[in-house]
Amino acid sequence: MLEKTLSRRTLLKGMTAGVGVMALAGCAAPVAPAAPQGQAAAPAAQALTLVLWSSFTGKNGEAETEVVRRFNESHSDIQIDYQFQGSYEETAQKVTAALQAGTAPDISLLSDVWWFKFYLNRALAPLDDLLEAEQVDLADYQDSLINEGVRQGVHYWIPFARSTPLFYYNKEKWAAAGLPDRGPKTWDEFMEWAPTLVEMEGSEMKTAAFSHPDGASYIAWLFQPVTWQWGGKYSDPDFTMHMTDELTVAAGQFYKDTVHTYKWARPTKDMGADFIGGLTAAAMMSTGSMGGIKANAQFEFGTAFLPEKDNFGCCTGGAGLAILARTPAEKQPAAMTYVAFASSPEIQSFWAQNTGYMPVRKSVLDLPEMQAYFEEFPQFKTAVEQLPLTQPQDSARVFVPNGDQIIGKGLERITVQSEEVATVFAEVQATLESEAQPVVEALRAIEG
Amino acid sequence: MTTKGNRVSPAERREWWLFLLLVGPNLALFAIFTYWPLVYNGYLSFVKWDMLAPVKIWVGLENYRFLFTQAEFRLIMLNTLIFTIASVVLTGSIGLAMALLLNQALRGRDAVRSIVFSPVMLSGAAIGIVWIYIFDPRYGLLDMLLGFVGLDSPNWLLDTAWALPAVIIVHVWKTVGYAVVIYIAGLQAIPRELYEAVVVDGGGAWARFLHVTLPGLSPVIFFLILTTVLASFQAFDIIKVMTNGGPVNATTTLVFYLYEQGFVAFNAGRAGVASIVLFVLMFMFTLVQMRYEERNVHYA
Repeated sequence: MLEKTLSRRTLLKGMTAGVGVMALAGCAAPVAPAAPQGQAAAPAAQALTLVLWSSFTGKNGEAETEVVRRFNESHSDIQIDYQFQGSYEETAQKVTAALQAGTAPDISLLSDVWWFKFYLNRALAPLDDLLEAEQVDLADYQDSLINEGVRQGVHYWIPFARSTPLFYYNKEKWAAAGLPDRGPKTWDEFMEWAPTLVEMEGSEMKTAAFSHPDGASYIAWLFQPVTWQWGGKYSDPDFTMHMTDELTVAAGQFYKDTVHTYKWARPTKDMGADFIGGLTAAAMMSTGSMGGIKANAQFEFGTAFLPEKDNFGCCTGGAGLAILARTPAEKQPAAMTYVAFASSPEIQSFWAQNTGYMPVRKSVLDLPEMQAYFEEFPQFKTAVEQLPLTQPQDSARVFVPNGDQIIGKGLERITVQSEEVATVFAEVQATLESEAQPVVEALRAIEG
Repeated sequence: MTTKGNRVSPAERREWWLFLLLVGPNLALFAIFTYWPLVYNGYLSFVKWDMLAPVKIWVGLENYRFLFTQAEFRLIMLNTLIFTIASVVLTGSIGLAMALLLNQALRGRDAVRSIVFSPVMLSGAAIGIVWIYIFDPRYGLLDMLLGFVGLDSPNWLLDTAWALPAVIIVHVWKTVGYAVVIYIAGLQAIPRELYEAVVVDGGGAWARFLHVTLPGLSPVIFFLILTTVLASFQAFDIIKVMTNGGPVNATTTLVFYLYEQGFVAFNAGRAGVASIVLFVLMFMFTLVQMRYEERNVHYA
């Protein structure tokens, strides 16, 4: 009797699941909605509708919606259907699934660690002819940013929401500790400052001087510049791994010591919330977090270049726009019109001011509104000034499949579990080497 | 059939069509969404594929070898086992205690029943987010409560020793209401006369529980073990939201690993192996259960 009940149950479950999957499949289909966004100025009867997938939430999401609205309002012949897909990871997952199903968007935002996977599978359209037809001034893009999306002289990935790590500090806590109103020039200097910033509550650390995120919050991205500052690195461009180099291990040892020896830093699940809530006096975070911090912090905060060790080091990050190779040829120019618009000086000025992402165009910096913004909000100027000093990340994090998480979990083992750095990095290196193998082969196949 | 030859009566034929009409749609859905993926997944476990490349490279048993020789995978199996056993035992026992209590004629009983059941209806993701705040060692509710009795809150979600207990607590909290409702239904189906008989024989509360309640509940307990084990094997939302499988791999269970390999690392082969392992485990468990049921479950 029970058996019957059970099987009916499972059957029902199976049916609901089935219906769910069908509904999902329906969602994924690139339905071209008749209703264009915003109060577009009466789009032409045969306006081309393009689907854009993207990943921003909160303040950044509002800003991107506004970018799309402005585009739709100013282009009667092209309408962008903006579809939010979740985090960078979720967006990449959905693009992957949609490519299998033949329902991929025309344009997608792809983050620094994801665009390459699609490039390797020839899923991205080469953009040079389109850029030329659209008369995009490539020389006006920040060189380090535009060049990251180039393979063998061909552009595939146009910078849009690009960021760098930045040192943030809580000015109130700084003043209370009697520190000068600036970031530490070097990590050695911060080592002296940090103990004065810690606030204890009994035996518990209430406010940490510094915090480390977890793997899912991109600790491997924030640790990347630290390896360079120590003179180490994750890897070479040809995928030779350097996790076990003496200086990379030394940088890891420093991260471990901040938590387990010096005890002025701690791992956290949400660095932004901790900083805003006054639970950490300082943190390295993305410039893209600045908009949210500015809107929510109840105290004055300062920003500074990343501290130095033996060298200065800072990497780029964030996301760019790509046009999918399966986008029909007749739609690709229109897609490029949007990509060019989104990365144009005017839009980048608006976008940067509202989010904290780096203006990807050089000429933005000369715009009067940007100059005025720098005056009003010098914290952002610091970020922009640091930009020319940045360099692209090591291949181990951005080009090895799951490299970010492989390194990130290794770093968690150090910061959270206090494991031996050399042992952990040796294991990480071995994993990275075996995971890189297919990429090396695929690259050889398509780039020779 | 053959003895009758080919002559099928119209009535029989109608019945056959009706059968097809009723079962067909379900069967089709099953075939498309359950059986075919299962077969295809078996194939994927033998290939190397990033879910994008046009070619899937046949690697034979390499994915199996990789998983079964990895220390990480052993930890994941252990996590799955701990999560499942703890969830089932806690949900079953706490649920039974609450059901016994709520089966009494108490004031406000119905309101309490609804409250106990409500977490079952909430989305796991939403619950996960609320519990992140409850567990926060610095400003969380639990820290405050522990403070009253002079205890320091552990760093629940960032400590490899505490993260798994934390997600188990939330999972049990979410599912216990379901067990309570099922238990209560079972309790009410036990004939009163049996209790009276025990009383007449001079048995106390313990004897009533041991000789009437427990045997009377055996089909319900059996059903609950089956459903809660299967549910814990598949628990995902709470883990995804609360710990993302971390810190390090402390809360990575088999199903979470499957997701991670499939949709973060895009390694279809390894995800395929993980889901085969999960399938085999669940299948074996169901078989053992069914066998046991035949022998030990008393239906009224």
